[in-house]
Amino acid sequence: MSRLFLLLLAASLAPPGPGRLFSRRTAAGLRRGSTPGFSGFSAERGKELYYRRNTKDGKAISCASCHSDDPRRSGMTPSFRKIGPMASAVNPERFRDPAKVEKWFRRNCDDVLSRACTPLEKGDFLTFLTTLR
Amino acid sequence: MRYLASLIAASLLLAGTSHAEEHEGRRLAMPAKVSAAWKTECGSCHMAYPPGLLPGRSWNALMDNLSHHFGSNASLDKGTEAEIRQFLLYASSDRDTRPAKAAPGERIVTRITDTARFADWHEEVRADVFRRQSVGSAANCMACHRGAEQGNFDEHQVRIPR
Repeated sequence: MSRLFLLLLAASLAPPGPGRLFSRRTAAGLRRGSTPGFSGFSAERGKELYYRRNTKDGKAISCASCHSDDPRRSGMTPSFRKIGPMASAVNPERFRDPAKVEKWFRRNCDDVLSRACTPLEKGDFLTFLTTLR
Repeated sequence: MRYLASLIAASLLLAGTSHAEEHEGRRLAMPAKVSAAWKTECGSCHMAYPPGLLPGRSWNALMDNLSHHFGSNASLDKGTEAEIRQFLLYASSDRDTRPAKAAPGERIVTRITDTARFADWHEEVRADVFRRQSVGSAANCMACHRGAEQGNFDEHQVRIPR
């Protein structure tokens, strides 16, 4: 986990267009690490995670419920706050601060999936949102 | 006659005073230096509710349980949590800094809309007004009170959207 954090940190320090760099470095990190069968992150799997619907308190919920069906658009929290677009192509400030990224994974994975996200899910999710044009 | 006139004048004056005071009371005291963490952290999901909206022990109860915050995980790192808690406690409606430990039979309110003051101030607002699409719910103070985040709930500045 601390390795992922370091890689996220490296990604955040990278110049604009951090997606590719982040993926390459993180992928290399995971390969060296102890994730068996890891063969790179997938924007496709990240997309699936973004739209995956779960049931919470009897209601359907997904990342898209608050972040909008189009990650290039603004979303809205259930309590009426605007959320800036998730796609870094339209919101360059996204994913620049590793502590912020981890904070929201911690909260929102719990909210939507009722569990923590795995490093693979996080990498897939970030790959989807940093490569989306 | 003169006595009666001065009595009327005095009562008008008094009425005027209490009226002014009532509206004064609807501007919650905000500390001169507002916590940046409170503004960003609380304000990223919902309006940053001014500390004066709840008593101190209610804020303590909320801050003790951020990972189960009205159905959401709103957990913070320890440092940020401590900073926000301090800001909320010292500007709370009663400046009570005691921990959130309820006395037997007592219930510590955590929803602003469950406070007696909320009910009192919104007596004339019908339930369906809160449900309007333009309002959302009673949690959205700013739909009608534009200055809510600055603690301004002045009745004369209320604009209820259609």
